Amino acid sequence: MALLEVENLDVTYATKQRPPLFAVRNVNFELNAGEFVGLVGESGSGKSTLGNAILKLLLPPGRITAGSVRFEGKELTTLPDEELRQMRWRDFSTVFQSSMNSLNPVTRIEAQFQDVMAEKSDLSNSQIHDRIGELLQMVKIDPSFMRYYPHELSGGMKQRVALALALALKPKLVILDEPTTGLDVLVQKEIMHNLRTLQREQGFAVLLISHDLGTVLEVSDRVLVMYAGEMVEDAPTHGMLKHPIHPYTHGLLGSYADPAAEEVEISYIPGRPPDLTRVPKACPYAPRCPEAIPLCRQAKPQLLPMWDGKAACHVAQMQWNDEQHNHTRHSEEGPKLLDAAFSEATSHKAMKLEGEEVLRVENVSKTYQRRAGFKTTSMNAVNDVSFNLRSGKVTGLVGQSGSGKTTIARMITGTEYPTSGAIWFGETRVDKLKGRGIHNYRKHVQYVFQDPFSALNPVHTIQYLLMRPLMNYGKLNAAQARQKVRELLETVGLTPAEQFETKMAHQLSGGQRQRVVVARALAPDPDIIIADEPISMLDVSIRAEILQLLDKLVRERKIAMLYITHDLLSARLLSDEILVLNQGHVVEQGAAKTVIRQPTNEYTQLLLEAIPRLERPDHVRASYVPTAEPTKVQVDASPVSEE
Amino acid sequence: MDTQDHNLKEPLEQEGLTVTQGVTTAVPEPPILEPEDDDVVPQQARAKRHVPEWFEVIWSNRKARVGLILLLFFILVAIFANVLAPYSPTDISFGPSQMPDSQHWLGTTQAGQDVFSQLIYGTRTSLIVGALGGGLATIIALVIGMVAGYMGGIVDEILSFFINLGLVVPALPLMVTVAAYSPVKGPTIIILVIGLTGWAWGARFKRSQVLTLRVRDYITSAQFAGDGTLRIVFREILPNMLSLTVLSYISAAIGAIGAEAGLEFLGVGDPSTISWGMMLYWANNGGAMITGQWAWLVAPGLALAAITSCLMLINFGVDALSNPQLREE
Ligand code: SF4
Repeated sequence: MALLEVENLDVTYATKQRPPLFAVRNVNFELNAGEFVGLVGESGSGKSTLGNAILKLLLPPGRITAGSVRFEGKELTTLPDEELRQMRWRDFSTVFQSSMNSLNPVTRIEAQFQDVMAEKSDLSNSQIHDRIGELLQMVKIDPSFMRYYPHELSGGMKQRVALALALALKPKLVILDEPTTGLDVLVQKEIMHNLRTLQREQGFAVLLISHDLGTVLEVSDRVLVMYAGEMVEDAPTHGMLKHPIHPYTHGLLGSYADPAAEEVEISYIPGRPPDLTRVPKACPYAPRCPEAIPLCRQAKPQLLPMWDGKAACHVAQMQWNDEQHNHTRHSEEGPKLLDAAFSEATSHKAMKLEGEEVLRVENVSKTYQRRAGFKTTSMNAVNDVSFNLRSGKVTGLVGQSGSGKTTIARMITGTEYPTSGAIWFGETRVDKLKGRGIHNYRKHVQYVFQDPFSALNPVHTIQYLLMRPLMNYGKLNAAQARQKVRELLETVGLTPAEQFETKMAHQLSGGQRQRVVVARALAPDPDIIIADEPISMLDVSIRAEILQLLDKLVRERKIAMLYITHDLLSARLLSDEILVLNQGHVVEQGAAKTVIRQPTNEYTQLLLEAIPRLERPDHVRASYVPTAEPTKVQVDASPVSEE
Repeated sequence: MDTQDHNLKEPLEQEGLTVTQGVTTAVPEPPILEPEDDDVVPQQARAKRHVPEWFEVIWSNRKARVGLILLLFFILVAIFANVLAPYSPTDISFGPSQMPDSQHWLGTTQAGQDVFSQLIYGTRTSLIVGALGGGLATIIALVIGMVAGYMGGIVDEILSFFINLGLVVPALPLMVTVAAYSPVKGPTIIILVIGLTGWAWGARFKRSQVLTLRVRDYITSAQFAGDGTLRIVFREILPNMLSLTVLSYISAAIGAIGAEAGLEFLGVGDPSTISWGMMLYWANNGGAMITGQWAWLVAPGLALAAITSCLMLINFGVDALSNPQLREE
């Protein structure tokens, strides 16, 4: 008997006002004791819903509408809340992305552990004290920290405390939902590594839910992939890396590459997931799938065993059947899958433009003064940084949060003034601009925001949002602006433009919103665009698409771009020049390829190591030429009815 | 409707940029279209029913539904007061201080007016004072609170000083004093007094709202788009705090209705006004308690209680607008 068995699970969100959303449909999987399993999916795939449903933590209007969840054979879906409460912490526990913020701010770390442990175990106080020390050490925190209050710890430390808390009563299963998302890359890496070691030592089972296939593949024994509420692949990590069965998994893997390789290329999956208010009657991936055959649009593939795992894919299954009958064919041959890809060779860099200087940053420093009581402390956010931006070129500014990269961006846009040094935009001293001057200067310098969900005002239509800069800077009247909006939308690939104009931001997907944000930055026809982590909040599978768009703009419009990121892979692909920033100091500066392939600084090397290094699976399954009638294949050919 | 996503590829392809054209199967196949729907369809369907979403949310809350129905009732009574009332409220041709009977359901006043007719006409005054007094207070609160919150710095310091002043000066004595010394009497002056003394709390509330909203990315984005301060405050920030503004408007209206009744009861109103507060004043002065005319005293009191509680019930629904967790299934 497996530790956790999930059978035919359906979760639906039903409210009176909206059509019901079938978030999780017919999901089956098992988790064995001591196994480390990853659950991967993009936004809206239902992965978190599934995680919450397993532990009965769904918030209304979410409801389990069918299926069962058994923990050690005990049915959880019908278990009374009181019994379930008994099992929490002791049998299973969870850590969420927000767990670090749910520590009680007014009690010391120690008391939070005592709360959990005193109630559910019969240890004496001194035993508990020792155990807390042990637990903190386990997550690499010095036991003396137990006397601290949560706000005295950093985000990474708080998240570790949450993890230690989850392990306090030695549960058999820990569900981690994006436990490190939002933390710095190096911290993420460390926590994951730590977790894996602990899991090996103590033998608890882990279900790690994440949007990031790369991270999951690095630590898990087995990976489950969800798409549009369905489980599409369930395979051991090793096999998945070498030979992803489902085309979606293959597509996801395409977003990873080794930034230090000679040639770097990443790909994306065009399109977006289907609307889940209607149950797809066929393969939900069919509209985006490069391998789709007519059958895919008629019948829903079942999750069936093939090769070393399971997958829900008609084509893969036919190939598997073929291979079973015909041992001469080998799985590792055949044509490449259709990929939409972005590589250095196709980027603006290949054109070897000689850009002219647009903006010069000269020995800029920024010091913040902080008064606490009678003491004044000063912090050097940026220290003696110099570089320039050239038209048609991308300068990458790489560093973790707190490295000063955002401060530099703010100084360039005139929102903050440097303590010393100068910023020149042509003949203009940017660091001396005020009021009207800044307004005029911003026509030339525009910003692409990190989070497309907060950069667009939810109350306005796309058309309104794009008309504003056109009317403010371009001095167009409303009719001209409306015309220009269409051109802009087409430039950023949102066609047909008429369809997008009237929508509100919340009606668009993350990638489409980011395109609107880019269009808005383009509207005043700027000379400089500052792109602040423009892809970090997007689904992994579409990141390359936005990079490609940015690249196209740089090339066509000869824009000078400052690309701010923590991710060396995208920096390598997009930037001509890279500056690595550590605590306000530039520790490395040079041509992108050189900096990343021959890093001289330790910090750059650390950042490089933090990137999940997956080999691109370019040996793909043999292409399938349907020789047999599709009806022979074991599929449920009758369309799955709604409900 | 074709899907955007496939179209997304086209311009890129024309660039000759990337999208590798590969053939995956040897059999030619029709292009794969996304299912004919994306999330736009349900939106349109909803729009067709002509019921805006905010109304649905409020309506689906049971308490708010009761409140809305009650409010509608009061509004209808106010509009059709001349039809509904059996007599003119100022007609003094009846016998004074009569007990309720079939002619005068709630009896008559000391001066011989019909209490029931007064009650019906009084609805008008209360609703108007609530709507205008609450509105005035809300508008002042909005302008001062939002400008203070958005501008920050010295502007904020000065405006905050006035807000705090408004908060610490006790409102009722101030209102009584201003109303008592004003050269003219009547509902208009009471509305003005209520508006001018009741905005401070709302302004503080709005200032703190703006403080949290103005650091949002979309506000920075509007600055980069070249929008001016007023435009950002009223077109970008205000619509995002609409439900909170409605919430405080309703609260201000409740306060205004109560304050009006209170002021009139204390005798600073215009004696010729027909309103619930004035009825209470006359009932008290006319010795309703002594003559045992309970209906004269109780009816306007109950009416006031009913109208304020109906507005509070509506607020439960508006609350659910800004906080989805409170929505009822
Ligand atoms: S079933 Fe067809 S459409 Fe779905 S993933 Fe497999 S090949 Fe692609």
